[in-house]
Amino acid sequence: MSTLLNGRTTQWQRLLARNSWVLGVWLLLGALIVWYSTLIPVFGQFQIVSISKNSLPLIYLAIGQAIIVIAGGIDLSLGSLLLLGNVLAARFMDEQSLGVVFLVAVGVIVGLALLNGLTGYVISISGVPDIVVTLATSYIWSGLALWILPSPGGGTAPEMRWLFTGSPSGIGGGYGLPILMIVVPSLLVYFVSRHTRTGLSLYAIGSHPVAARLAGLNVRQAKIVSYAIGGAMAGLAGLATVAITGTGDPRFSVGATATLNSVAAIVLGGVALTGGEGSVLGVVATAVTLIMLNPILTAMGIDSNSAQVIQGVLIAGVMMFGGLAILLRERRS
Amino acid sequence: MSQSPAPTTAKNAKSIGLTFRLLAFLAAHPTLILLGVLAILVLVAGNIRPSYLTVAGLRTTLLQAAPLGILAASQTILMLTGGIDLSVTMIATGAAYVTANQSPNGAAVAILFGILVGLVAGSANGVGVAVFRVNPLIMTLAMSGILLGLFTAWTQTILQGSTQVGGLIKTVSAGAFWDNRIPYSVVVWAVLSLLLIWLLRRMGWGRLLYATGDNEVAVRLAGVRVWQVRISAYALAGVLGALAGILLAGRTGAVDLQLASTFLLPSVAAAVIGGTSIFGGVGGYAGTILGALILSVLNSILTFLNVGQAIQQVVYGLIVLALAWGYAGLTRRG
Repeated sequence: MSTLLNGRTTQWQRLLARNSWVLGVWLLLGALIVWYSTLIPVFGQFQIVSISKNSLPLIYLAIGQAIIVIAGGIDLSLGSLLLLGNVLAARFMDEQSLGVVFLVAVGVIVGLALLNGLTGYVISISGVPDIVVTLATSYIWSGLALWILPSPGGGTAPEMRWLFTGSPSGIGGGYGLPILMIVVPSLLVYFVSRHTRTGLSLYAIGSHPVAARLAGLNVRQAKIVSYAIGGAMAGLAGLATVAITGTGDPRFSVGATATLNSVAAIVLGGVALTGGEGSVLGVVATAVTLIMLNPILTAMGIDSNSAQVIQGVLIAGVMMFGGLAILLRERRS
Repeated sequence: MSQSPAPTTAKNAKSIGLTFRLLAFLAAHPTLILLGVLAILVLVAGNIRPSYLTVAGLRTTLLQAAPLGILAASQTILMLTGGIDLSVTMIATGAAYVTANQSPNGAAVAILFGILVGLVAGSANGVGVAVFRVNPLIMTLAMSGILLGLFTAWTQTILQGSTQVGGLIKTVSAGAFWDNRIPYSVVVWAVLSLLLIWLLRRMGWGRLLYATGDNEVAVRLAGVRVWQVRISAYALAGVLGALAGILLAGRTGAVDLQLASTFLLPSVAAAVIGGTSIFGGVGGYAGTILGALILSVLNSILTFLNVGQAIQQVVYGLIVLALAWGYAGLTRRG
């Protein structure tokens, strides 16, 4: 560290120091993939497709959660919004022409962005903490989802399934499209968050809202934008879910699990829950890692219950490691 | 018109002053608002179904409210320190299983083992949060996953067939005395409530909870070992969660892995509606009791209306939001 602070550093060293956590989680993911490929007899197209497409919903949800948390909030309703997007798509895309399917897809993304933007507005005018408002809206959205589709069902067009899974039937297919669907939205949100005025204002209001306001930023507007981006990503996650499973599922527990996983993914990915810190790119790696743990533990011959225990221990362990590192650094200085 | 402005203005000023003083009074005593909301909801419920305003009707709500209130007590204690426990419902479920497993050895032993589950899991949460500084959301979320995995596996092995708690526990959880008027579980809840309120208001430990949530650095500089305060708070929260789980197991008669899961969000909501700040340092258990009662009455109303689960969830969310909003608006003005 000291050499880095004493002037004479190259651009690369600075880049490394700033992004060490992001780099770390990507290296971890790479190591996991290599290890997984040695665990199973055949590692090829099928495994890559299955990992990448199954990670899609969590990746989108975690990116949305990351943006909201970076802007100083937290959204416990993202999982319920995913349900809402999922059932809207499954209900209205079923046996429709391609044009209608496209319109429904756009409608889901824009609609959920508006709905969650409204949540952001309510938070900023009411003075009620984010966690409380989104706890309440999580009931509202999942209730609406249940109202739209009372029991699992519906369907979607083969083109939708092809777009997210690389195969019109959702089975098999090439890995090009699923990976593209990971890369494009991630890079897009990353670019917006790091290289546009709006994106930087999210970091500003997350790290110090008062300072941001005094510097002339519209804090309320930035808050609403962060929630709208979160809503749009939840809509995309809902579309990915209907593409992967081929149906809509309004169960509350599905949404709750998705929300909690998204929070776990962003924290492990280096986004501080206190706001203003972290990057979307690290979050993508941890989301894939969380999804990959299951097949890896299965390949190791560990049953699903023990896998759940190990996953919990790993999450707590990684965070404890991080906490310990901070503690040691404080002691030293 | 221009000749008599003075009395009108004075009258206006007087009425404005009255309104303002009323608002200020309410802001200073927010529990009165909660009592008012509770009374209105009870009357609404009675209006929809007249039989609700009888001993039997109210007893049903109280039976529902007791486990929720005790789970919300866990959240209140932790929220005062700036924490939260997302594993409390899994702790409750785990404790219920262990109690059911130990029931043949007598109620006392069974309850003791159940409480032990809460103590161990809660303390582990506390160590993670206090010593290793893991964010409470993440630590308890991980704990919840660990417990779910462990107990799912154990229900097929060492806890196999442990789905019923003993007769005495059932009586205490679901029964009532004085001509079937007052449920035993409400007595348990009332005793715990008095203890908690006394602990939070009168004991040094309770005040340390508030202080820790308000300004941890100041508390540390005052010579308090903050990690001890936190670990003990999480341990107590775990024990309370275990007690709630045992009551729930006795009330529903059977234990399963989903026993308490629907109570997680309401337990947080009850504490929040009751005026405890999720950022720590502000609140108390009296408000949480009212919050738990309000949510339980609301649940009864929605059940009476028979509108279906979808509308129930939407209305539930809207009312929780409205209550929190109104509460924040009033107390902020004051």
